[in-house]
Amino acid sequence: MEIRGYQVPDDLMYTKEHEWAREEGEVIRVGITDYAAKTLNDVVYVSAPKVNVTIEQSKPMGAVESIKAVSEVYAPFSGKVLETNHDLDSHPELINKSPYMEGWLIMVAPSNLPAERKSLLDAKAYAAFLETLLQK
Amino acid sequence: MFKAVPKTTQLFGYHSTHATLTEFAGYEMPLWYTTTAAEHMAVRNTSGIFDVSHMGRFSVEGPKATGFLESLVPTAVKAQPPGKAFYTLLLNTKGGIMDDLIIEKLGEDAYMVVVNAANAKADMDHMLANSPKGLDVVDVTDSTAMIAVQGPGAIASLQRLTDLDLGQLKRFRCAEARVAGENALISRTGYTGEDGFEVTVYDATSEHPDGVMKLWEKLAETSTPCGLGARDSLRLEAGFPLHGADINQATNPFEADLAWVITAGKRGFIGSEVIEASAAQLPSRVRRGLVLDSGIPRHGFEVTGDAGAVGVVTSGTFSPILRRGIALCYLAYAGSEPGSTIGVTIRGVNQSGTVTKPPFYEERLYGWKRQKGN
Repeated sequence: MEIRGYQVPDDLMYTKEHEWAREEGEVIRVGITDYAAKTLNDVVYVSAPKVNVTIEQSKPMGAVESIKAVSEVYAPFSGKVLETNHDLDSHPELINKSPYMEGWLIMVAPSNLPAERKSLLDAKAYAAFLETLLQK
Repeated sequence: MFKAVPKTTQLFGYHSTHATLTEFAGYEMPLWYTTTAAEHMAVRNTSGIFDVSHMGRFSVEGPKATGFLESLVPTAVKAQPPGKAFYTLLLNTKGGIMDDLIIEKLGEDAYMVVVNAANAKADMDHMLANSPKGLDVVDVTDSTAMIAVQGPGAIASLQRLTDLDLGQLKRFRCAEARVAGENALISRTGYTGEDGFEVTVYDATSEHPDGVMKLWEKLAETSTPCGLGARDSLRLEAGFPLHGADINQATNPFEADLAWVITAGKRGFIGSEVIEASAAQLPSRVRRGLVLDSGIPRHGFEVTGDAGAVGVVTSGTFSPILRRGIALCYLAYAGSEPGSTIGVTIRGVNQSGTVTKPPFYEERLYGWKRQKGN
């Protein structure tokens, strides 16, 4: 769906810190939302956790930076990092161009998926959350 | 709770429909229209326009004007010819930097003083507290507007709208002229490192914004509107300090690498005793640039050398020209030699980098000194 000009795909899970997570079989793909990317304006640098690093749900796992600002990225799920998106090394602007596809950040092997899934928002809930943010 | 309503400039009607807005120094200003990176590159490669109407503008006129300004700044004022614009500093009694500013000398005893928006009130208080009887210091910020046109294409963009031969107006010179039918003051100045102009439009109150709005829209046909994001990345890439971040009341002109504004032998200005005393000794720290191999340095990050901490970042960003993280920082004098290797710790990782003397770009390719034809 689209809410006030921001894309919110129906099939993803979201955090209130504007990360998204997509279940792809046994693994989770993670990125930042269209709203996060547009608020940053022009992403110029991405610092993501390295492969084999263990991340913990809701803890900082990296940062996405624009010319003007730094935005910390929080892990939507606990687990081990399987892969990082090397295209972002030379083309960080992919996060602006395609936040949900080419601009993904990492792939994670989740360690506590069923329990942690409950603390994430579905598209409808995230859209409602964005709406409250934008009304302020 | 009571919340102060931000002020707006005469061009707010354009910004509110074209830009993402931000509050800066009490004004609601454009942060970016498209992206900071695109606006930044437009200024380096063609031309961009900035609404800088929020900056403080004070008119100082009368027989005592020259002597008064002479007592405020470390740069010789009387020696400047009419039609000259110059960058200088307001110092406190301890020689610390209250503000950096441009003074435009319109006539032997007529000046326009342009100061940072965030310091405008403090600067005015300071001027009124030190002004002689019978001298008019008038805040004309609200009754005038100011547009900066910057970049290698600035001259072509602005020339279409004025009869003044801009090619004859040398850098740091100013002249009054008609621009798009408005009475204005044009100076060949700016804060991006590029060639360009700052146009002060007279008689442009918020009740009568039509004239300056028409000028802005005509300029926007050939120049890219730029927000405060690009204004900050451009000044940083040129190595220019931002008051409040890179210079403040506790920094003196020597450590800020701004001693060049002090006219040799000048005395009798506020702070001159301290300036004279500090001129004789090496500063303990000095403002430098640094370029990182990876990562983006930001305000407050610690700079380390072989033997531990050597300084601190005062402002940092990503340079769209270098495609690297760059910063202005203060380094211990001993470790400040350009070319020295340093490190900056970013989120727990030490990123290596090199000390430089800005600007960060190659002056052969970018900035007002660039070789034509590039």
